[in-house]
Amino acid sequence: MTDDILDMRGWVRAAMDFVSENTIGMSRHWEYTDSVAWFLTEFIMCVMVFGGIMTTLLVLLWMERKLLGRFMDRRGARTSLRSLWVGENGVTAGEWWNQLPFGPGVPGGMVNKLLNEFAGNDHELEAVSRVQNRSYHGVWWLLPGFFQNLADGMKFLTKEHMVPEKADRFVFEIAPFLIIATTVMCFTFIPLGPHFYSNNSEMSILFLMAVFSVAPLGVFFAGWSSNNKYTLLGGIRSAAQLTAYEIPLLVIVLSVVVLSGSFNVIEVIEFQADSGVWNIFLLPMGSVLFLVVMVAEVERIPFDMPEAEAELVEGWWTEYGGMRWGLMFASEYLRTYAACLLFAHFFLGGWEAPFEDTLPLIGLVPHILWVFLKAWFMFIFFVWFRAALHRVRTDQILEFGWRWLLPLSLVNLVMATVLRLWVYDGVNEEWPILVPILITSISLALFILLSIDEDPEALEAQTRPFSVQTVDVASPGQHRK
Amino acid sequence: MAEMWISMGPQHPMTHGLWTLKVKVDGETVVDTEPDLGYIHRGVEKICEARDFTQITTYCDRLCYASANTWSHAYIYAAEDLLEVEVPERAEYIRMVAIELQRIASHLMWLGAYCPDVGNLTGMVWCLREREMMMDLLQELGGSRMHYNFPRVGGVKRDLPIGFALRCRAKLKLFLDRIQEYEAILDESTIFLVRTQGVGYAKAEEMINHGVSGPNVRAAGHNYDVRWAHPYSVYDELDWEPSVERPSIKGSDCYDRYRVRVEEMRQSALMILDGLDKMPGGADTYHEPGDPAILAKAPARAAEGQTGYHHFEDSRGESMFYLAGGGEGRGKHPYRVSIRSPMFITIPYAAKCMIGYKIADIPAIMGSFDPCIGETDR
Repeated sequence: MTDDILDMRGWVRAAMDFVSENTIGMSRHWEYTDSVAWFLTEFIMCVMVFGGIMTTLLVLLWMERKLLGRFMDRRGARTSLRSLWVGENGVTAGEWWNQLPFGPGVPGGMVNKLLNEFAGNDHELEAVSRVQNRSYHGVWWLLPGFFQNLADGMKFLTKEHMVPEKADRFVFEIAPFLIIATTVMCFTFIPLGPHFYSNNSEMSILFLMAVFSVAPLGVFFAGWSSNNKYTLLGGIRSAAQLTAYEIPLLVIVLSVVVLSGSFNVIEVIEFQADSGVWNIFLLPMGSVLFLVVMVAEVERIPFDMPEAEAELVEGWWTEYGGMRWGLMFASEYLRTYAACLLFAHFFLGGWEAPFEDTLPLIGLVPHILWVFLKAWFMFIFFVWFRAALHRVRTDQILEFGWRWLLPLSLVNLVMATVLRLWVYDGVNEEWPILVPILITSISLALFILLSIDEDPEALEAQTRPFSVQTVDVASPGQHRK
Repeated sequence: MAEMWISMGPQHPMTHGLWTLKVKVDGETVVDTEPDLGYIHRGVEKICEARDFTQITTYCDRLCYASANTWSHAYIYAAEDLLEVEVPERAEYIRMVAIELQRIASHLMWLGAYCPDVGNLTGMVWCLREREMMMDLLQELGGSRMHYNFPRVGGVKRDLPIGFALRCRAKLKLFLDRIQEYEAILDESTIFLVRTQGVGYAKAEEMINHGVSGPNVRAAGHNYDVRWAHPYSVYDELDWEPSVERPSIKGSDCYDRYRVRVEEMRQSALMILDGLDKMPGGADTYHEPGDPAILAKAPARAAEGQTGYHHFEDSRGESMFYLAGGGEGRGKHPYRVSIRSPMFITIPYAAKCMIGYKIADIPAIMGSFDPCIGETDR
């Protein structure tokens, strides 16, 4: 566990010890040497974690933009992949690989040529619209669109700050701080590596969940204090939705805690390293539930009722503008990022490289990279949901939460308890690999069986699942002269 | 929570245009609605009294921004009834192609707007992608992308351009394939089904009593399509069938209205393909503008007391034009132009439909009736 080549905390501590010894240690306040070194280490680690999160947040925004563009431009996920090598009109999509500096894309070009030969299209040359024929014609080494978010942020900074006349000014001003501060506070206890964290308390998961659920209060404040009917409705929807989804979230996290036997994030990851499998293979249902609940918690499609732009204009943040809006927007993505990181830590083994035992060289990859890669991978699902799904209605969200998520999360908790009591009980050092294989294959089979939701009887009777019984159609042609 | 009135519009994402829907809500439930139309009233009927019969076409194009061609054609048939013009058959076929292409484009615009109404942006981008193909074809015909000014009294402005039939067939064939994509992202999505099925019931009898027509009433199982019931132009020579849904016992819901429009797009595409085959003189021949094969001579003046009337299957329902000739005193202008807009009749009924549902259903129900405010306010 401690063999990370990136021992960031140790290095910082050593440097600060050196600094402290050579300044404070030589003065008459020498007895504070240790405390000062400790304080400086903590401070620098906080800054580094925050900086790392904020810098990589740009990746998240960039990913969303690019992925969504792909999903919407082309024909869904399958053809999104395909569009990497073939454009809609049969022309390769920009041949960007040839424009990379120093030519690392040349093999890619060869693969592209090969793929085009057996999976290219050549029959839709004529019928293409101008809309989908987008391609990028600039320089590729600047990562097109990557720095757009910085420009957006600068724009927000220059905007005027306005408070509606009838708003409750104090609450209106305090709400964004509540939302943003608690969101940033989440990252205090989310480690980016075994030695790359700002704080590591014994009960970090408990604190994390507590802080994570403060932001909805700020949302409610913002919605109510704006004194606008849309924001009020958005705030109330948010309160209802987050109350309904907070409980399943806590129960699911509790199952992870029970299975791992610790309230500490780092120890949860250590358990996954010790047991030899990631938690996703032990609690497959729990991981899916966690993903669903997190989508609802961060209020993204399909659960973005509080800011449903079709009927509530912009929901609870209709009245905000300028950098307050920009920071709340950033904090929403930070919450998404926190959700992705938590999923990576709880279910995907955190910084554990896959097949670390069988592929020893993989351990040379810095652990922080695995954390980010796993979190970004999870973010793909968030974008995918947004591209593919529709918005659910308020009553349907609540019904789904109370009727399905809560019982299922309790079942998940029971499963975790059983696993903890009889399999991963800490007595038997040789933990069986058969158990995760069985659980995963059974769950996969169940998932596939339940996903096939075609109801042959309903198809036969021409009835529809969510509607009352249909009557026969008027016979065509009866009105013809 | 106490009941309160929310004013949605004139600038609101739900409105699909510029109008106000006042909603009385009790918490999340809609208790009462009050549509408030007239925000973009331009007085088209009055303006038309000071224009000659060719100029009015341009104004009728602007009645609906999503479906310009159908409206100018609705006018032109009434004008031909007034001026007693016999239209060449080839021109009628070309008109049919233009109208049906416009109908597909209009329905795609509707579907593209309906997807974000229920929360999905991908569907919108996909629909606009195919709409672009229809726009390109219409641009080849009319020379413009939105307001084509295509028909003339007695025929059409231009013949089909050389190669149009080939491009049209290829694009429609591709389009027929791509309708399946919409069905894949909408019909196979449980969330779309729970958002649209069982929501916004509208009964056929009530709709007929209100005067609602077009796809909305066909969604309720009532087979009334003007093209079918009272065929004008060449619709009785084509191989097609109006799309009629099987509504539920409680009436047609949003899903029915979605299905009927998707089916109608299919029917329109097949109709165009059929019409291109049956076109007199062949779809590949080209006549110069003004050739008698595509444009008949028409008088510029209408006698006093003479009236012209036509009812027409617009993309949104049954549109009617009533023209009264003014004789020598009015010169080349009509005495009176009266327009029956299907949406003007549908919107109050749609507003009634959403009582009892949730706020989140307002865009889903309102959008499913396909409102277009340009023609409503005229």
